[in-house]
Amino acid sequence: MKNEVLPTETIQEFSKGLVSKNSGNQNFGDVMVVGGGVSGIQASLDLATAGFKVYLIEKGASIGGHMAQLDKTFPTNDCSM
Amino acid sequence: MTFTEVDQVEGEQGDFKIRLKTKPRYIIEEKCTGCSTCTEYCPVQYPDAFNQDISGNKAVHVYFSQAIPLVAYIDESCLYLKDKKCDICRGICKTGAIDFNQTVQKTDINVGAIILSYGIEPFDPGVKDEYGYGRLQNVVTSMDYERLLSSTGPYEGQVRRTSDREHPKKIAWIQCVGSRRVTEGDNSYCSGVCCTYTQKQVILTKDHYQDAECTIFHNDIRSFGKDFERYYQRAEAYDGVRFIRSYASIEKENPENNSVVIRYSTFDDGVKEEEFDMVVLSVGLNPPADSRMLADKFGIELNAHGFNKEIHSNPVKTSKPGVFVSGAFQGPTDIPESVFTASGAGSQCGELLDYRRGNLSRERIYPPETDVSQEEPRIGVFVCHCGANISSVVDVPSTVEYALTLPNVVYAKEQLFSCATNSAQEITELAKEKGLNRVVLGACSPRTLEPLFRDTLREAGLNQYYLDMANIREHCSWVHSKQKEDATKKAQDIIRMSVARAAWLEPLQEFDLPVNKTALVVGGGIGGMTCALSIAAQGHEVQLLEKEKDLGGIARRLDTTIEGMDVQKHLNDLITKVYQNPRIHVSHEATITDVSGYVGSFVTTVETEGQIKKIKHGASVLATGATEYEPEEYLYKENDAVYTHLELGEEIAKKEEKVVNAETLVMIQCVGSRDEKRNYCSRVCCSHAVKNAIKLKKINPDMNIYILFRDMRTYGLREDYYREAADMDVKFIRYEPEEKPQVEAVEEGGRSILRVTLPDPVLGYGLELDADVVSLAAAVIPSETTTKIAGQFKVTLSPDEFFKEAHVKLKPVEFAADGVFLCGTAHYPKHIQETINQAYGAAGRALTLLSHDTVVASGSVCVVNEYDCVSCGACITACTYGAIEFKETPKGKKAWVNPVLCKGDGVCNAKCPTDAIVLKHFTDEEIFGQIDAAVTDEEIRKQMDAAFEDA
Amino acid sequence: MCSGRVDLEFIFRSFAKGQDGVFIGGCKLDECNYTTHGNYDALANTYIAKRLLKHIGINPKRLRTEFMSGADGHLLAEYTDNFSGEIRELGPLGTSEGLSRGELKIKLESARKLIPYLRLVERERLRVPEKTKKAYTSFFESYETKNLFDKIVSDKLAISQILLLLKDKALSTSDIAQNLDLNPSDVSKHMNTSSRQGLIKYDTNSNCYALA
Repeated sequence: MKNEVLPTETIQEFSKGLVSKNSGNQNFGDVMVVGGGVSGIQASLDLATAGFKVYLIEKGASIGGHMAQLDKTFPTNDCSM
Repeated sequence: MTFTEVDQVEGEQGDFKIRLKTKPRYIIEEKCTGCSTCTEYCPVQYPDAFNQDISGNKAVHVYFSQAIPLVAYIDESCLYLKDKKCDICRGICKTGAIDFNQTVQKTDINVGAIILSYGIEPFDPGVKDEYGYGRLQNVVTSMDYERLLSSTGPYEGQVRRTSDREHPKKIAWIQCVGSRRVTEGDNSYCSGVCCTYTQKQVILTKDHYQDAECTIFHNDIRSFGKDFERYYQRAEAYDGVRFIRSYASIEKENPENNSVVIRYSTFDDGVKEEEFDMVVLSVGLNPPADSRMLADKFGIELNAHGFNKEIHSNPVKTSKPGVFVSGAFQGPTDIPESVFTASGAGSQCGELLDYRRGNLSRERIYPPETDVSQEEPRIGVFVCHCGANISSVVDVPSTVEYALTLPNVVYAKEQLFSCATNSAQEITELAKEKGLNRVVLGACSPRTLEPLFRDTLREAGLNQYYLDMANIREHCSWVHSKQKEDATKKAQDIIRMSVARAAWLEPLQEFDLPVNKTALVVGGGIGGMTCALSIAAQGHEVQLLEKEKDLGGIARRLDTTIEGMDVQKHLNDLITKVYQNPRIHVSHEATITDVSGYVGSFVTTVETEGQIKKIKHGASVLATGATEYEPEEYLYKENDAVYTHLELGEEIAKKEEKVVNAETLVMIQCVGSRDEKRNYCSRVCCSHAVKNAIKLKKINPDMNIYILFRDMRTYGLREDYYREAADMDVKFIRYEPEEKPQVEAVEEGGRSILRVTLPDPVLGYGLELDADVVSLAAAVIPSETTTKIAGQFKVTLSPDEFFKEAHVKLKPVEFAADGVFLCGTAHYPKHIQETINQAYGAAGRALTLLSHDTVVASGSVCVVNEYDCVSCGACITACTYGAIEFKETPKGKKAWVNPVLCKGDGVCNAKCPTDAIVLKHFTDEEIFGQIDAAVTDEEIRKQMDAAFEDA
Repeated sequence: MCSGRVDLEFIFRSFAKGQDGVFIGGCKLDECNYTTHGNYDALANTYIAKRLLKHIGINPKRLRTEFMSGADGHLLAEYTDNFSGEIRELGPLGTSEGLSRGELKIKLESARKLIPYLRLVERERLRVPEKTKKAYTSFFESYETKNLFDKIVSDKLAISQILLLLKDKALSTSDIAQNLDLNPSDVSKHMNTSSRQGLIKYDTNSNCYALA
């Protein structure tokens, strides 16, 4: 895993978020986020942390979007993972 | 939910009924562990989409090694799916995760709000023959080049040409591919990110290959973002890097070596042709291809480019209530903006759905923790096969045997996948059954799964810090796949070290800090008010501080935005809403005199209109804004026909005759920006100039307007206005910073005029403009209170003295100090829409804190042993978080760590002359244990004996 | 945990416990995950540790610090291969240095005894005001700094070694000089200061020094 905080946090926070996913009425949620790129992930994490049940919908095989394909990011040359 | 698309949407805000369509992955997600064994055995080679089809992959594979979920999928190239020919993977998979019978699933869900984060698609240069993409082998897109640079890319971080797999030496980048062009198939707007990502690629290329020659063909370098200017300078400073301002066209391919010939022209040399080993097309950002269809589905309006049609006063909104947009679906944006607009969209959903917050979430309940600190260590070791990831290299059974011989180990077992739900349960049960009080997992990196296993320990009633992860995958099996015996030995070494550390582990408490539900917002401009309103709309009290008598900030001086939004109307609406909101308490003429406390419980002392107020709050938002630089050049203040752009805008709004009836008006850009003193671009001035020019031309079409610029930085959709101004015959003339324009006041024909002279690189001789009015693009500078407030809240400033965010990309509205957020121009100059976006973003992030009753602070923090402390203060100077201070104790003044502020980096530990300060979970004993166990005594003896016998 | 947490003691303890080389990996300079930029502290510690190694006759090449990001797996592999190659060439600790097992033990232990003192010295005398690689390199590689360090360390180190040596048995000045490969006149000087401080005593009968 790379040096960035994103994936770890994602997993950590998702493991929290998943809790809310499993509860209550099966298919009743608060917010649907469409698109699992960096923006969609951030929106989902924020909402889940703030007490909402979120559906994150991604048409591809993995979340991460185009940012996952980038090598580094400007202007700090931080790794994009 | 991956592989899922929205099929149908019905209903309205608060109650949307949505039908989702999930395509088959042919893998049962719950069973797949991402071990990739199936990929190894799959016979089909297929271009890898993640690597831009440059390298191959298999029909069944994980999208990329850090994919989330880390689950394989089977694509259309699969032989079984085509004609049921092969099902090797089904036989190989140990968890039985492969299921060829999956079909499209429809799911109905019900939600209250929707956020669309469709993002962008890179422009496809293949649609236009002139770019040569697909036709010429050594022409790649910038996205391809990203993958080439990446260590997980097609050549493992080596840049190679497609034609001969050689490293290219001469590389050219062509900017604005698909952007800033009005030709069919291209986009008229500026994609905003390509200039800087190209610089990044240049820097990385030079890092890879020192002797690479990089040439960038551009038309304006748009380094308008925070720290972008310095980044540009950094790229430009390399030897062998050329930035050439010229349109460039791809002429032909040299048939001998497949190199690419580019034709371009410069003022000095005229038209030239030059050969490059590789050409990178800096492609722009397109809206998603099916954005029209999506828009229809959700009932939202789009603009002419196919992005969401912006509502200027709130760019996160769409034309459909309850549907919000974030990220690049607003228009081309970079990563930080995508992140804070996401938080902003989140905040607006929160406003809408506050009444049902928390109803659907459920607290996890753990068994009570047993105190085992007085017991002898009883360590359980679990060694994971990770499918075949570990076990194909490391001999797992013998490693388990070995673990059992180690001191304090009472139990050891192998597991196929320790991270699988049933394995975690097994660990929990065995811990109880065998009375384990510490657990060592020989598996993967703690970065990935430590949280999961900590959870497992809690389920077993153990303190979660009684876990140590021995990374025998990334640190062992993955890197030593060909040295099986040595790898097994190394795995045993790593586990032995972990066991040694585990014996020293102590139970640590994460503590809950209460969160005061009030927010403090510093600054009553558009940013501060927007943020305050959004927080208040989610049920929280907000204390809003404004240093002036009135709310409004610098926006009070703006008439409209370039897009035509009525700023004053919006501002008055905001101000009314703020005063009418019973939860928002405004303090005018407010000065902060003291700030104490930390995340969740700050106390801020404020002097306001002669009174002293003590405000208790859980979160702080700093929105102190920016101000205009007062130019010392170009006769400003000396001649009353010289204005700043802000002043000019005010005069235009008033229809001041001197301005609107001017015959000739000259605008000079970059006044006080992009120079030695302020090495940054003020971002807004180019659009500001274009806006004023268009307005003036509309009032007085005969006016001669000249804009003297260095680079026109009308990024994003603002490019269209730049074009509009040029079409209205506004003249744009470029100047070089070494030869700035000169302004002198002269009397001619009884008329006093301002004579502006500058050398014109196009004409080659000096240009003289006689102007009635000169307007200066004065720099945007941080407001004077910024430094003081930064000190009070213990937050840091960037080199340009704007606030410095915690992380440029991932935490753009937060400070490193927990519980303190930022938004607006105090962060960096920005347009009103950007400020609004960021203000909602800050509100969204603040809500993730305020919506909880408590925040959890890590147990791995420093603590001082007062007996050993000699009060030298070495730790205090080492700590940049200000977490350590002196406290009076019965034994005198001693260092004391505020555990809430400590981030656990442990730098102080290495400074303490008496070892009095200790980072918990990484104590000297724990690490010494590990160091000492790295080599067994027996080994040392053997090696030494051998060595000294020889000697 | 930050690379700045890598204490001098960690390094010397590793050598003392039989490691032939120590490698420290830190985040890239100027790309701190915290706000501390503690990797510069790691860099300073490396310079100090290398200098100290040199003083006790151990090849400073046995310690190496490299900075890389989490995305630089290939660099880590390259550095590791390269470093293990170097260490393999140097052979087990002490061999290429020509130090016996006993000498190694004493020298390393004397160095470790100095660590608390070095932490103070670092703070008082060896702190670089500007956090750039250039500033650190030019400071620590300057003649003045090396000189200063040598002055600060060499006496202390010699005394510390002498005391350790005398723990076993009483020795004469020339024995000590021989044992520690020091100049006899220097040893006499140290013996004088140490007796004055009451650390050791002189036995006129045997002409030997012993611990007080």
